[in-house]
Amino acid sequence: MDEKRYSAKFRAVDTLLIIMMILPILFGITLYVLCTPESSGIEIAGARIYFTIPMPLQPLPITESQVNSWLVIISVFFLCLYLTHGLSADHPTKRQHIVEWGLEQTQNLVGDNMGEYFKDFAPFVAAIMVLSALSSLLTLVGLYPPTSDLNVVGGWAILVFILITYYKFKCGPVHYLKSYTEPVAFLTPLNVISEFATPVSMAFRHYGNILSGSVISVLVAAALQGLSAMIFGRLPGFLGQFPFLQIGIPAVLSVYFDIFSGLLQAFIFAMLTMLYVASGFPEEDYREKLRKKAANAAR
Amino acid sequence: MQSSEVISVNIWQIIISICNLLILFLILKKFLYKPVQNMLDQRQSMIDKSFEKAKRAEADAKNSKLLYEEKLGGAQAEADAIVKEAKLKAQKKSDKIVENAKGKADDIVNQAKADAALEYKKAQVEIKHEITEVSALISEKILEREINTDDHRKLIDSFIENIGDSYDGNE
Repeated sequence: MDEKRYSAKFRAVDTLLIIMMILPILFGITLYVLCTPESSGIEIAGARIYFTIPMPLQPLPITESQVNSWLVIISVFFLCLYLTHGLSADHPTKRQHIVEWGLEQTQNLVGDNMGEYFKDFAPFVAAIMVLSALSSLLTLVGLYPPTSDLNVVGGWAILVFILITYYKFKCGPVHYLKSYTEPVAFLTPLNVISEFATPVSMAFRHYGNILSGSVISVLVAAALQGLSAMIFGRLPGFLGQFPFLQIGIPAVLSVYFDIFSGLLQAFIFAMLTMLYVASGFPEEDYREKLRKKAANAAR
Repeated sequence: MQSSEVISVNIWQIIISICNLLILFLILKKFLYKPVQNMLDQRQSMIDKSFEKAKRAEADAKNSKLLYEEKLGGAQAEADAIVKEAKLKAQKKSDKIVENAKGKADDIVNQAKADAALEYKKAQVEIKHEITEVSALISEKILEREINTDDHRKLIDSFIENIGDSYDGNE
C-alpha cells in the first residue's frame, strides 16, 4: 500500500500502539530482573511470589504467573487496537489482510470442528489460543511462562468444563443424568470419572508439557555445563571455566520446547475445548426439544 | 524472594486465571472481532450496492439500446418515405415536363401544318394567277389578236375558280 496515504496522526497513533504493545513485556523483564536474586545453580521452582494478599480460605499470592498473564492480556489488547486501527471497507491495508485472514481461519476452524450452532465460539477459542501461545512464548524473552503454573491452566480447564456441562444441561437435568448411563447402566461410575478426567487431563497435559520443557532445558543446560567443565577443564585460566558446550545446543532445545511445544499445546488445548464442548452438546435432542416446545406453544 | 511450589493449587489463582481468560475473550470479541465483522458487513453492503448499481446500469443500457434500435428503425422508415416521396415528386415532375414537351411539340406540329396550309393556299393563289396570265398570253398568241384582257381574265378566273372549287371539293 502507498505509505503517503497515512497521515502523520495515523502514524503517531500506530507507533504509540506498538510501544504500548511492547511496554508490558519490557515491564515484565524489568520486574523479573529486579526481583531475581543471584542465581544459585540449578533451580527448579514455581513462580516467584511478589506479594501475598490475605484472603478467606487461602491467602492469595500474586506470583509471576498472574503478573505475566496480565501483561500478555494488556499486550494483546493493544495488539487488537493496533490491528483494527484504520480498518476500511474499500482500501484494505496489508495489516488488514492479515487480520481478515486470521479471523477467517479461526472462524473456519470453529465452524469445521463445532458446527454452525457454535459459530460465536470463535473469539473464545481464539482467546484460548492467543493466551496460551503467548504465555508459553514468554520464555523466549526469559520470563516465567504462566502456562507452566498448574493454577493458570487449571483455571482454563475448569472454565472449559463449565462450558461442557452447560451445553450438556441444555436438554434439561434428566437428559444430562441419563447421558451418564450410556451405553449401559453399569458403566455409570466410569462415565462420571471420565467426565471429571477431562478437565484434569487437559490441565495437566498443557501444564506438564510446558513445565517439563523448562525443567529439561535447565537440566540439559546444567549437564552441558558439567560436561564442558569435564572436557575443557584442563585448559588454562578463563578458557577452562567457559562452558563451550552451552553454545548452540540449548537453543535447539529452546526451539522445540519453547516455540514448537508451546504453540502445539495452545493448539491442542483449543482443539480439545472445541471438540469436548461440541461433542458434549446433544444438538439433535436439543433441536427436538425446541421443536416440541414450539409445537406446545402453538397449541 | 520466595517462590511457590512447582505443583501448588490455589483457588484464588484459579479464579484469577478464569477471569483472565474471560477478559481476554471479551477483549478479542469487542476490539478485534466486532470491528472487523462490522467492516466486513460494510464491505458486503458496499459490494451489494455496487452490484445493484451495475444491474441498474445494465438495464438502462438495454433500455437505451432498445430505444436506439426503435429510433433507428423509425429513421429507416422515414428515409424510405422521403425517398418514396421524392421519387413520386420526380415522377410527377418528369411527367409534367414530358407532357409540356408533348404539348409544345403538338403546337409546333400544328403551327407547321397551319403554315403549310397557308403556304399551300398562297401557292394556289399564285399558281391561279400565273395560269391566268399564261392562258391569257397563250390565247393572245393563238388568237393573235388583242382580246379584251379584262373580259378574258374574268372568264378564265371563273373557269379556274370552278376547277379550284372542284379540286377543293375533291380534297
